[in-house]
Amino acid sequence: MRALPATFREQARAVRAYAVESRAFALESWAGASPIDRLALVLVPLALFLFVGAVVSAVVMLGPTLDFLGANQPLVRFVVVVLGILLLTVPTAFLLIYMELKVIARMNLRVGPNRVGPWGAAMSVVHGLKVLAKEDFAPTGVDVPVFTLAPVVTFLASVMTLLVIPFAPGIFGQDFNIGLLFFFAMGGLSVLGLLMGGWASFNKYSLLGGLRSAAQIVSYEIPLTISVVGVILLAGTMSLNHIAQAQSGSALDWFVFKQPLAVLIFFIAATAEANRTPFDLTEADSEIVAGFSTEYSGMRFGFFYFAEYVNVFIISALITTLFFGGWTAPFNWPWPYNLNWLDASGIGAAWIVIVGFALLVAADVLGLAIWLFRGRQWSAPSAFGLGFVIAGAGVTILIILACIIALDWVQGIFWFMVKTYIFVFVFVWMRGTLPRVRVDQLMGFAWKWLLPASLLNLFVTAAAVIILNLPSAR
Amino acid sequence: MTFIPGLGIAKGMALTLRRFFAPKATIQYPEVRPDMAVRFRGRLQLLYDEFGTLKCETCFQCAQACPVECIDMGGHDTKNRFYTHWGPAETYGERREESALRRSGRPVPDQAYVHFQPIDLVAVEEILEARDYDPGKMLPILEEVQAAYGYLPIAAIKHISHVTGAPYALVYGTATYYSHLSFERRARTVAVCRCTSCLLAGSGRIANAIGEGLWTKLAREPVGGVALEQLAAHIPGAASPLVTLDGKPQRDVTETSAAAWSRALAKKTVA
Repeated sequence: MRALPATFREQARAVRAYAVESRAFALESWAGASPIDRLALVLVPLALFLFVGAVVSAVVMLGPTLDFLGANQPLVRFVVVVLGILLLTVPTAFLLIYMELKVIARMNLRVGPNRVGPWGAAMSVVHGLKVLAKEDFAPTGVDVPVFTLAPVVTFLASVMTLLVIPFAPGIFGQDFNIGLLFFFAMGGLSVLGLLMGGWASFNKYSLLGGLRSAAQIVSYEIPLTISVVGVILLAGTMSLNHIAQAQSGSALDWFVFKQPLAVLIFFIAATAEANRTPFDLTEADSEIVAGFSTEYSGMRFGFFYFAEYVNVFIISALITTLFFGGWTAPFNWPWPYNLNWLDASGIGAAWIVIVGFALLVAADVLGLAIWLFRGRQWSAPSAFGLGFVIAGAGVTILIILACIIALDWVQGIFWFMVKTYIFVFVFVWMRGTLPRVRVDQLMGFAWKWLLPASLLNLFVTAAAVIILNLPSAR
Repeated sequence: MTFIPGLGIAKGMALTLRRFFAPKATIQYPEVRPDMAVRFRGRLQLLYDEFGTLKCETCFQCAQACPVECIDMGGHDTKNRFYTHWGPAETYGERREESALRRSGRPVPDQAYVHFQPIDLVAVEEILEARDYDPGKMLPILEEVQAAYGYLPIAAIKHISHVTGAPYALVYGTATYYSHLSFERRARTVAVCRCTSCLLAGSGRIANAIGEGLWTKLAREPVGGVALEQLAAHIPGAASPLVTLDGKPQRDVTETSAAAWSRALAKKTVA
């Protein structure tokens, strides 16, 4: 911003001072107070009272509460996991919508949203608020309970699949031994939501759209599921956690190199499953009425939309987990450098070096810099004192950061998110590039190409497992 | 020619990825202005009003201003004869008045047409003589002509153009550009004070209301003989907001009454 001339600033200051002064006069009586003042006069004491009450009751109730939570650990875990997964979908969907706007804009040689928030990052939040603020409208003749439940079913079907996805060692909702089966079972439920929405809308176009999307998703579910069986054969388990662990080591251990055809089939089928371009016939937004969601508006439509983006994330996460090593590092971690000496649990020589030596050096360098560049305003003791304080704070923050990074699950989440968002980017990239296929091409491709290819993949994998006598066959 | 499955997809994906990193075409308009020539006016075209009448009045100012002389005018006259380079708008006074009437939806006395009547040119000749018939001294010549006649007669402008050799459009353009030069006799002058206290008391809104009543704006060319001006300085002792008519403060002009007052004044003056 351009600096204002001093006189402008003085004027502004005078105006502000005047405003403060007149406010002080206004607050002397209730009658003279502005509505905001009156509100504050009521709310501030109330908030203070509630805060003090909360603190007191927390102190009193802390022991019994902890006892109760300790006695009901499975329940607590359930609540925490469900809350965490539901809450995770919100920033995920916002991030994906923002990514889509921004990435496709860049591919169109545009800039994309750049006004709301830094680099337009709050754009999807504003979109969400807009959808929330719209009228919750149900057309005449609609079967209201089913009409309302349909987006909920679709959304929950997506969210439930998040339960079994391992984000990092120890960071997952539930480690089922039928994890993958659960995933596809829950993912398949989203068809039910689409059908419900199409049927309940009391509109033949919605019904046809719903049936068509059901046909598409059910057709693609078959090659999708069969292509994954190869991975199950290799890993010898359906638990996603163990599948991720089976690929630990380096990038060469990933199943993508053992199952290249399966990755291709899975990726294509997953694109259709998530209703993404070039298979987004479910709501071909530029061609036909919006398919099953024709009659939807407001937040009911918002949930379909929401579920679509959560689906993209989930599908990317599943590809990562099944074929790209999940949360494991792509190279033999801790290469290229060992972070174990920073482990918070053991105080080793590294700590003494950092705290004792590095701190002194940093303090001296900083103090010298302050003393040199600050001129005579700073005496030597105060300059070095300040240098010591800054260096101490910096080193402390660095140590804490290093300890956090050294944690297993932080690294796990890092690698998992990096890989997942690479696939999210690929999905968005495809949407920015590929044209939509025709509906007969869509179905023909699934039945004539993907299904035989996935069966072939399954056959070859099974034969290899037996012939090579891989560990999972024993 | 070999067919490789997926090659087209790969090509397309590569193209979009290159575009992803390519420089963007967007210009962040309010913050960043495109680098254009100062006199760039976009694509040239003639506009029509809502009645389908060409808005162009063939005043030739655009042709005169065009640095590369790409603008010229031509068309069919009333006898369906084609001319390039029509004469000045004032020779088509009737047509122009009709057009102006339609566009404004109000009775506009076409002063240019009225003052096109021949005048006694002796005073103009004297001024031109003193100024050595120099087209470079156009502004002083026009000012003196206005001082001599009380307004700028169109006949005088035509004469000046004819004698000095300056194109008519140039003289006409000069006369219309300066707000103190007027094609009509100034009968009355309304002045609004715009000192700080008057502005706080609402003189800005009053000026707007009066401008609407007089079919003009502050310091624009007057219409119908009533000029609207800004008072040079507040008259000591006068109340705010201050409005004067021919130098006399008008006490009864307020924000609410300004529009009606000015409309009545305009009607009186024209009649």
